Amino acid sequence: MSEPAGMIHWEAQDSIGILTLDAPRGNFLSDPEFIAPEQLKDLLDQDGAKALVICGAGKHFSGGARLDDLFKLAANPVHLAERMNKGKSLLDFIENLDIPVIAVINGICFGGGLEIALACHIRICSEKALFAFPECNHSLMPGMGGTIRLPGKISWASSLETILGGDMLNAQEALNMKIVDEVLPQEAGMEKALLLAKKMTKDRPRKVIRYILQALRNYKSMPLAEAMKEETRMFCELAYEEMERRKNENLL
Amino acid sequence: MKTSFKTLSVTYDDGLVHLEINQPPSNRMNSLFFNELSSLVDELCKKDGISAIVISGKGRHFSSGADLDDLLQKAVHPEKELSSSGTFSFFERNHFSFLYFEELNIPVISAIRGVCLGSAMELALFSHFRFCSEDAVMGLPESTFNLIPGIGGTSHLIKLAGLAKGLELVLHGEMFSAADALQYGIVDKILPRKEVVPFALEFAKKISVNYYKEKKTLYLNSAA
Repeated sequence: MSEPAGMIHWEAQDSIGILTLDAPRGNFLSDPEFIAPEQLKDLLDQDGAKALVICGAGKHFSGGARLDDLFKLAANPVHLAERMNKGKSLLDFIENLDIPVIAVINGICFGGGLEIALACHIRICSEKALFAFPECNHSLMPGMGGTIRLPGKISWASSLETILGGDMLNAQEALNMKIVDEVLPQEAGMEKALLLAKKMTKDRPRKVIRYILQALRNYKSMPLAEAMKEETRMFCELAYEEMERRKNENLL
Repeated sequence: MKTSFKTLSVTYDDGLVHLEINQPPSNRMNSLFFNELSSLVDELCKKDGISAIVISGKGRHFSSGADLDDLLQKAVHPEKELSSSGTFSFFERNHFSFLYFEELNIPVISAIRGVCLGSAMELALFSHFRFCSEDAVMGLPESTFNLIPGIGGTSHLIKLAGLAKGLELVLHGEMFSAADALQYGIVDKILPRKEVVPFALEFAKKISVNYYKEKKTLYLNSAA
């Protein structure tokens, strides 16, 4: 296994995990798999995280992949494909987590950085944030799910323009296009994310959080009838447990 | 033949069906309501010439949602959930009733006054249009009772409000105002309390000629 540990920093506050991308000069990612999914899972478990916040150290979220690193990897196509697939699995893992995931975006959020942000459930950015898929400017294309996740969130036409055009978008433009959910003054993003995470999860049993996220995932991945059946099943299970709890406390 | 219901009032005006939840003051949805709704759906399925459906609540409120005590009484152990009288089949059937409205190719409009919470919010989310009064209060508070929305509420809310806002509203379970709902994309129009139901009925009549589900915005703009 490669050593991704050098690219991140971890801390936890009140059952909220904070994963900080921390790499030289704008959090460039030298490896798409910036943390192994198993390692992330261990960290979340170890701190009993009910929500995850992902941010960048310093002024920027992440500038994505560094081109020279990428071309070094590209010399061995099999190896490159393997690294990209690992990176994709990591983003899938993050998107499919059973807890809410919030991206706090300051400064630059380009390419692979934007792909990480798009894998999160909620995106909060600072007024000075900048977004882009610059890959096309280098005769490349997004390779970590950007061409799939972006049109899943914004219109097909805007996706085409953003990806093929390769132009930068400022925070307000990103908000108008619904690439981000909220724009706040610089520095206020982290505070808001922690507040929001706390508000959403503090009084909620883990099972309720897990089932709500599972219901959402099912809705995306299953035929409608099946997703609805699953939702009913989960609801009935919770209803039974709540009934038992109330009986035990003589509330029913 | 028309069945008469205790918890529902159904008025036919040519093809326009006006369905009112009839358990004032709060129009709480108990198991009798869900059973009657299911019978009504059966009845409507067999009926020809329906051109539009408007759903509202009798009195001040749309509905405060499912009767939690009544519902929890019905809860049985998931592993014992085999008989057709279990909670699972009860909710499956409710799901089917709600889905019936959503899948219709005639306009289905919820006219929301006052409170619209939980399962009532879910019912409204299965409509094609939602008009509400200025003083409407909406929400999916299930998670505050250690439950989750049980009839498609989560997915439907997120479809309208987006993942970020939807997740926040469902996980936190907070109530939101008419103005917020309009901003989040959950309701289509806010009207003075007195005008909500008449407007919905008028709107239903107007758009039910050659109705196309896909042209929702067009109809809304024409009614502005």
